[in-house]
Amino acid sequence: MSKTKEENVGVVREMRPRSEIDESSERQELERTWRAIPGLWGWLSNTNHKDIAMRYIVTAFIFFLLGGLEAALMRLQLSKPENTLLGPDLYNQIFTTHGTTMMFLFAVPILEGIGLYFVPMMVGTRNVSFPRLNAFGYYCYLLGGLFLYAGFLLNVGPDTGWFSYVPLAGPEFSPGKRVDIWAQMITFTEISALVGAVVIITTIFKQRVPGMSLNRLPLFVWSELVTSFMIIFAMPAVMMGSGMLAMDRLVSTHFFNPAEGGDAILYQHIFWFFGHPEVYIIFIPATGFVSTIIATFTRRETFGYLALVLSLIAVGFIGFGLWVHHMFATPLPQLGQSFFTGASMMIAIPNGVQIFCWLATLWGGKVNLKTPLLFVLGFVFIFVLGGLSGIVLASVPTDLQVHDTYFVVAHFHYVLIGGAVFPLFGALYYWFPKWTGRMMSEHLGKLNFWLLFAGFNLTFFPMHQLGLRGMPRRVYTYLPEMNWASFNLVATIGAGVMFLSVLTFLINVWVSRRSGAVAGANPWNAATLEWATESPAPAYNFIHPPAVNGRYPLWTRTAETPVVTGLSAERREVLLTSVVDALPQQRHELHGHSIWPLVTSFAVGVTLIFGIFTPWAYPVGSALMLLALYGWFWPKEGPKQYGTKEEQKLFFKHQTELSLRGQDPI
Amino acid sequence: MREEQMVLDVKGLPEHGFDTREPMWWGNLLLLLIETMTFVIAGAAFFYVSQNFNIWPPPRTETYSQLNPLPGLGNPTANLIALIVSASVMIWVDRSARRADKRAIKIGLLICLLLNLGSITLRAFEFMSIHVRWNSNAYGSVLWAILILHLMHLIVETAEAFILSVYTFNRPLDPRHRLDITVLAVYWYWVTIIWIPLYLMIYLGPRFH
Ligand code: HEM
Ligand SMILES: [Cu+2]
Repeated sequence: MSKTKEENVGVVREMRPRSEIDESSERQELERTWRAIPGLWGWLSNTNHKDIAMRYIVTAFIFFLLGGLEAALMRLQLSKPENTLLGPDLYNQIFTTHGTTMMFLFAVPILEGIGLYFVPMMVGTRNVSFPRLNAFGYYCYLLGGLFLYAGFLLNVGPDTGWFSYVPLAGPEFSPGKRVDIWAQMITFTEISALVGAVVIITTIFKQRVPGMSLNRLPLFVWSELVTSFMIIFAMPAVMMGSGMLAMDRLVSTHFFNPAEGGDAILYQHIFWFFGHPEVYIIFIPATGFVSTIIATFTRRETFGYLALVLSLIAVGFIGFGLWVHHMFATPLPQLGQSFFTGASMMIAIPNGVQIFCWLATLWGGKVNLKTPLLFVLGFVFIFVLGGLSGIVLASVPTDLQVHDTYFVVAHFHYVLIGGAVFPLFGALYYWFPKWTGRMMSEHLGKLNFWLLFAGFNLTFFPMHQLGLRGMPRRVYTYLPEMNWASFNLVATIGAGVMFLSVLTFLINVWVSRRSGAVAGANPWNAATLEWATESPAPAYNFIHPPAVNGRYPLWTRTAETPVVTGLSAERREVLLTSVVDALPQQRHELHGHSIWPLVTSFAVGVTLIFGIFTPWAYPVGSALMLLALYGWFWPKEGPKQYGTKEEQKLFFKHQTELSLRGQDPI
Repeated sequence: MREEQMVLDVKGLPEHGFDTREPMWWGNLLLLLIETMTFVIAGAAFFYVSQNFNIWPPPRTETYSQLNPLPGLGNPTANLIALIVSASVMIWVDRSARRADKRAIKIGLLICLLLNLGSITLRAFEFMSIHVRWNSNAYGSVLWAILILHLMHLIVETAEAFILSVYTFNRPLDPRHRLDITVLAVYWYWVTIIWIPLYLMIYLGPRFH
């Protein structure tokens, strides 16, 4: 046996007989340490990242179905002129709820949820850095969603559009509680998104398996990292914006009231400072799916890793310089307009680079055209079309022509459904075996794809023409003389086809869960670490986290590539490594299950829900939150003693000196 | 399959550390980034609405003194000094936590707590010395928003310091709570540092307008 010391104190690298490593007692110990407590209490206090992430995914998908039903209602209403299925007031509530649901309750949470599921597995760790915070984020999200739908069912659904512009949404023109519900729902979901972002970034920074330096980070993890940073910079804006709106309505502040020096355009700036990055927050994780799926189904490394990472980061930055293109129809200085037109055109460059890298990977690869890849190809086609109509909208003169028409509705569904929903379906087909241990049916999968592809284009392509013919968005009906009827009918038929497609998907899930082919650990022969463990993965993810020797670790690993041993199986211990090079630094015990995240989210709920009636909810609710946090953080066990006092002192002295001299690797 | 497998045995690694080694430190940093963004937005709103007024700050709306629209300077400046002093004491607490010097931690935390209670009280008076109500005009709304947001941070950090002091006084000092103290210190520095530009913006800016 060869024995070498790593540079880091405390790590031993050596060859060991397999029989000695694969101890079944260790497996049992891990099972006992990490398993969820049974029963309702266990369910409510669960903090395992896979369970929480699965709740995100399932909840968000249910909201997608609800949003889809609302879309179907709108399409039915518009299928013929002067239809009377929905009245104007209900139509307003429905398109607002549809947009709000799709953006805040579906797209962001499901993409973050998939990140929360797979980021820890792809970086080879056992749970996220802050398991309790993670659970708290989920409950806030759930409360926000339920609150919106409670309002909708009680006929106080928001009706001012998914961005609730003032003055329409201000106290003067929207009395009642509808807009307040919208504003508080924003706060709920943004807390959740922010919390998720913090959890994802910290997990990526600190818990990567040795060998996974930043330049070996899987592309999907990169995409979640960039997205999380965008969330951190963008979401505070919308929380402030909706908070200021709520205060204007509740305690008569004048942020957006022009009569007292406030400004309606300020609201638009704040909203779109968030709103444009939001589009990329939805799109970037989807590009992560695309890179992952393309690599797996062409059996080769994605072309241009560095170019892809750099364009992700570039998109992340440029995405913050575009918001004004949503406001070309407001009185802005000319210079500002040209600047934002230029920036909007510029973002085509990194996006183009990504598309070319993917095409180059597909070109000459041994393409294995399974359902996930099919969805990716559909994505490329539709997204490019969405990009083309985007160019029309990015230049001020043409934008003014089609502003607020169905042309815009067509454009953003091309980028949102093409850019996020198609890759998402690909991802669901791709990772279903890991979640359930079974494969999904390819036949139904292909049917699902073609129905969605055909239905989508049938629904949204005619909307371009409707927009050019002047049909405004957000109208509940139109007159026969307008000549809009036939295209609208086609769009409605298309929506019906999309409905069938989603139905096919649900049937496929249902059937495959029960009787799909058994998947095994790595059915697609993929390269990233989530496939290095059983399907479904155990609560602790890996018995021994596998260190990596490249960007596509499962394709390149050998017996010389180490696995990590020596983590305690009796406590929830994970390995911490340095941020840049992933050098082993510490063992670290994670928190276990706790009911307090749920309690704390209730305190937040009380604050925000009663906060639409009285400002006193805020101080009272904050006090409740502090109490709940006290329960959360107060340690149950007494302090553990690690080593003797002297040893501890020496160690900390040593480490402090290192970090003061700047020698502790970050 | 080979009979042997390379392992990386990490049993010998320490279980605690400070700063960039600890997820907690990063998590805290990211939360502060989020909070910084909220203040950036609030600051942007401040400058944005300032363009809508012919006189900045706008004339007072209370009848008793129409003349001087500038916010008072005494309370806020005293408060700024208190914040800076408490942050300096915090540096000492931070160092003591690393050295595991329990006595110093206790004394330091108590001083910081007292100073912060002072800051919170002064903040209450600050609301009066700005001479404008949240519902008088947009200027008042933005000012109140900024003061309240920052007040919330003062309260949260005070509560956190309180809990950590209770802990330190009652239990032996373990590494995890020494880390907590160093993380609290980072928060503390931030609460002070973020206030400096805001102070300049709110109280000094209008004087040079
Ligand atoms: C499932 C198929 C879908 C159909 C048939 C559909 C249909 C529609 C229609 C007809 C409108 C326009 C309503 C109007 O202006 O009167 C609309 C608005 C909108 N949709 Fe969709 N949609 C679908 C999916 C999605 C998805 C997946 C997203 C986002 C990820 C989305 C986001 C939006 C947004 C943000 C609006 C704007 C709402 C507003 O005006 O405030 N939709 N949708
Ligand atoms: Cu945009």
